[in-house]
Amino acid sequence: MLRATDVAQSYGDGPIVRDLSVQVAPGEVVAVIGPSGVGKTTLLRTLALAREPADGRVTLDGTDPWAVGADERLALRRRVGMVFQEPGLFDASVARNVEYGLRVRRSWSERLGDGLRSLVGSNGTAGAVREALEAVGLAGAADRHVGSLSGGEAQRTSFARALAYDPDVLLLDEPTSDLDPRNTAVVEEAVAAARARGIGVVVATHDMHQAERVADRAAVLLDGRLIETGPTDRVFDDPDDPRARRFISGELVY
Amino acid sequence: MTVPLDPAVAPLVVGFELPFRDGYLPSIIFVSLYVSVTAVALSTLVSVPVAVAVGLTEFRGRRLLTSVVNTGMGFPSVVVGLAVLFVVSNQGPLGPLELVFTREAMILSQFVLATPPITAITLAAVAGVDDGVRDAAHALGGTRVDVALAVLREARYGIATAVLAGFGRAISEVGSVLIVGGNIAGADGVSKTRTLTTAVQLEARQGRYETAMLLGGVLLALVLAVNVVVVRLGGGVGR
Ligand SMILES: Nc1ncnc2c1ncn2[C@@H]1O[C@H](COP(=O)(O)OP(=O)(O)O)[C@@H](O)[C@H]1O
Ligand SMILES: [Mg+2]
Repeated sequence: MLRATDVAQSYGDGPIVRDLSVQVAPGEVVAVIGPSGVGKTTLLRTLALAREPADGRVTLDGTDPWAVGADERLALRRRVGMVFQEPGLFDASVARNVEYGLRVRRSWSERLGDGLRSLVGSNGTAGAVREALEAVGLAGAADRHVGSLSGGEAQRTSFARALAYDPDVLLLDEPTSDLDPRNTAVVEEAVAAARARGIGVVVATHDMHQAERVADRAAVLLDGRLIETGPTDRVFDDPDDPRARRFISGELVY
Repeated sequence: MTVPLDPAVAPLVVGFELPFRDGYLPSIIFVSLYVSVTAVALSTLVSVPVAVAVGLTEFRGRRLLTSVVNTGMGFPSVVVGLAVLFVVSNQGPLGPLELVFTREAMILSQFVLATPPITAITLAAVAGVDDGVRDAAHALGGTRVDVALAVLREARYGIATAVLAGFGRAISEVGSVLIVGGNIAGADGVSKTRTLTTAVQLEARQGRYETAMLLGGVLLALVLAVNVVVVRLGGGVGR
């Protein structure tokens, strides 16, 4: 269970977001919806344990990574995967990209051995890499260089990269904002498959239909706060907060 | 029974007459390569970690450091030669090592000359790597070392360019190696501190233009060969 409690985050000046409390359980999909610039990415980076909260706490199964040593923090961080809005792929083959998370988890001597072997010939594609590629519909693309991928394929490769090391929690930052309907459907299927495997998923999106399609619960981020959190149906059909009501009905235009 | 030598074939049998003694050219090439390659290797070992540290961290004085490095690219080589000569001279801090007119002194001055361009170009390459790559390497479970390695890998063509630029500066440099090395060849014609550049300069001054041009051609060929090798290595790794 990944849990944020009363989290605030800032970039130097005043807080961008504050009083954020949100949690994701294994096998649950939570959508964070809100207009652009409201702080969705900032919240996801904080949940990814990549950025220490300016205030409040983030815990994974009860442990606060910022209250333990660096080794333990790394171990916690490695149970979380984050897929950024920009794919940020490495200049290498698709398989090598997807394998990255597995590689950094190996010991230096193993990595040295792999490196030497790859100079002689191919190491072959690891089973976890193949599975991750299959989950995003890229089974045939393992040996392609990322430079030859379409935007949708690049985004799906980025997704597979976070799936390959089987994280407990997956954070997706607007995973389909630049994708056509076909690629969007593939990504949403992969989210459902991750959920079925017991992975907790947080997906930031400004697409409310997507939130309705994939999420068990939804959280509305407006004016730096989570003004509405609950089961997706209730948040969309009967929001408590009047601003959430207006945002969801499309009256509140940002 | 003796076979009479055909006078038309004889020169070919004897071989193409080089305008200098055996061992002269190979020893000059050796000194040039030994000094430049060693200096550039040492510069790279220093430059790459510095460039990565500067490129990936925020700290006060970062802009100052960057502009010092950029200024270093324009150091006049004769001034560097003079400074190194002083450092290794009897009165200098390295005086006891007796390095005046040695290859090691030449390596030292080439190191000083090659480090700023290698650092500056590597830094530009590292800074040019997409932030998304750093974010991804970290988010996928990479440590700071993993992130640095991922960035280095993305910057590999730029780093190859940096090493080439440093090597180009080192091997074609005349002023400082002349000052600290002294352009010395032994009585047997074997170079001690004579490089291709200082040999060209000497031959040209003494009016042996053919020899000077031949040595210049060898220098050019060396630079081209090293370019090919470095570009191959930079382009071939891990693709
Ligand atoms: N690295 C940063 N430095 C300073 N300000 C930032 C940084 N990242 C985001 N911001 C600011 O924080 C606010 C929220 O950004 P972000 O979390 O990216 O929102 P969203 O993902 O919802 O579009 C924006 O006003 C943005 O300008
Ligand atoms: Mg964002």
